[in-house]
Amino acid sequence: MSIRNFWTIFKKDVAVGPRSPFVLFAILLPIALTIVLQMVFGDLFAQKPRFALVDQGSSQISLLIQDIDGINVTMLSDPEELKQQVQSHDFDAGLILQPGFDQALKGGEKPVMQFYISGESYAIDRLILSVTAIDLIRTVEGSSPPVEVELVSLGRGEALPISMRLVPIIAMYAFIIAGLFVPASSLVEERERKTIQAVLVSPAKLSDLLAAKAVLGIVLTIIMTVVTLLLNGAFSHNQLDMIVVLIVAAIFWSMLGLVVGLLASNSQILFAIVKGSGALLFAPVIFYLFPDWPQWIAKMFPTFWAIDPVWQILANHATLADIILPLMVTAGMSIVLIPIVAKLGRRMLVQLASS
Amino acid sequence: MSTPAISVSSIRYSYGKQLAVDGISFDVSPGEIFGFLGPNGAGKSTTIKMLTGQLIPQDGSITILGMPVLGHNRDVHKRMGVCFEEKNLYLQMSAVENLKFFAGLHGIKDPDIKGLLQQVDLWNRAKDRVSSYSKGMRQRLMMARALINDPEVLFLDEPTDGLDPVSAKAIRDIIQKRASQGAAVLLTTHDMNEADKLSDRVAFINEGKFYAIDTPEHLKLLHGKRSATVRVKQGDEITELRIPLDEDVSGEGLKQAVGSGEVLTIHTEEATLEDIFIAMTGRGLQ
Repeated sequence: MSIRNFWTIFKKDVAVGPRSPFVLFAILLPIALTIVLQMVFGDLFAQKPRFALVDQGSSQISLLIQDIDGINVTMLSDPEELKQQVQSHDFDAGLILQPGFDQALKGGEKPVMQFYISGESYAIDRLILSVTAIDLIRTVEGSSPPVEVELVSLGRGEALPISMRLVPIIAMYAFIIAGLFVPASSLVEERERKTIQAVLVSPAKLSDLLAAKAVLGIVLTIIMTVVTLLLNGAFSHNQLDMIVVLIVAAIFWSMLGLVVGLLASNSQILFAIVKGSGALLFAPVIFYLFPDWPQWIAKMFPTFWAIDPVWQILANHATLADIILPLMVTAGMSIVLIPIVAKLGRRMLVQLASS
Repeated sequence: MSTPAISVSSIRYSYGKQLAVDGISFDVSPGEIFGFLGPNGAGKSTTIKMLTGQLIPQDGSITILGMPVLGHNRDVHKRMGVCFEEKNLYLQMSAVENLKFFAGLHGIKDPDIKGLLQQVDLWNRAKDRVSSYSKGMRQRLMMARALINDPEVLFLDEPTDGLDPVSAKAIRDIIQKRASQGAAVLLTTHDMNEADKLSDRVAFINEGKFYAIDTPEHLKLLHGKRSATVRVKQGDEITELRIPLDEDVSGEGLKQAVGSGEVLTIHTEEATLEDIFIAMTGRGLQ
């Protein structure tokens, strides 16, 4: 293989890619799916409650509230500005702490605390912010609550929100479209337009061309799955491990794309193969939607091993050590596909020369 | 005699039981234009595919520029140019992008794309997508692509097929120029006039076998029949007299025809390559 020829073909494919409907489809579909599914089930557009605070002294409350994960806190200096911004719904609520507030509290006085609520804020946000504020005041005051609160979880403890369980489906779309379909369609297009013959009578070999198509699929798959995970808020844990998992999976999908591209002599056959095998490719991710189904069935599908490490990291915060088995299986499947690609490549050369 | 740029020895190829090329041999010297003539299915394309490394001969050998060709050979492919009959260009790219891409595959860092596109009269459309080009423009770009690496060996499959006379002449001029600069050119064509005008030698191929390899002139001398047609007016009647010149060595027949009345026209005729091809193979070229 020649690195120079590989790079020349890769650059050409990247430049031509945006002019291809398949590549545009690969880029837009996961994003469109994310938006649609998150609008229906998820919380893509749901924001954390926005809280503004003016601390005219140096209250412990302002430090404590900034450590709370589920609230966006903004510190302001001017009480009038706070009122205006809460009124215009730039914040859901705002709090003004007078100088010496903590001392007064600890001294048993009842200092005035001005708590402003935006008229347009959601009831749930008002509730969260009010309860949080009262809880912080108790903390600073040093008093214990009059009751012991016992939390009782009802329903399946391990169940994840539907928005989370949909992420593997969207990621699978990115894998199939960017990893499988883009290299396959690019190869089929070269074959249909016979540009592949022009390339093969230049110093470039078939291996240069196939490597370029595969790397195009790998790069696009990684970018699209990372974008998909980011859009779904599922790229916050073990990012490096996730990148490794995506690289291994992208290699597998792109190798599969080459196999499909070499098998299909024209676009009609390519679409028929993808449509025909779609259910098999997708089957494993359906099991994430229905945790009550026997999960061992999903393991019967080869594509399970490529998607499961992604699921394990996003749902269980797994590390590479935890998912080494599915990673090895995915890498092994990619290795098995190499001689198949080589054999199908030789077969295609004969078909091209005989056509 | 110079070392042949293309040397083919007893190559054979069959698709299953169907024999496509049956042990043909020929050489093409640097600077020579070699016309490959035959009807569809005669074995021309299979031969070119073997010469360009797309097919591996099942028997025999091919040497190009002194290097053996058995499938893809990077060193040989660097020095050859191929113009396919099919217009296999990247339609969503411009002419410049197409040429830059193939220049890149040949490892040419600073290709003279402007010069090439000017040669084929496409410079004014250089940045337009090829999908907007006419058939003739695409053919001219195919020719430019075949020349991107300044090849020493050129394989041209029907290079002027479907072109208007002006474009066809421009392509023929380029072919002759390249040959005069030392490139060996192997040309397949259905157009007998083109083969006659361009080729230093022609080969007649039919059913995978060669029927003749020679210069067009020599073939016509050996196998053709010359004649003269004299139209004379005798009284009120106009008569057309055909005199076979090969049999009329003394010229008596022609003298008699000219003297038989008022001469209106005299035309000489010589056999065309197509006539000779039909006479030798028993079938036409289309």
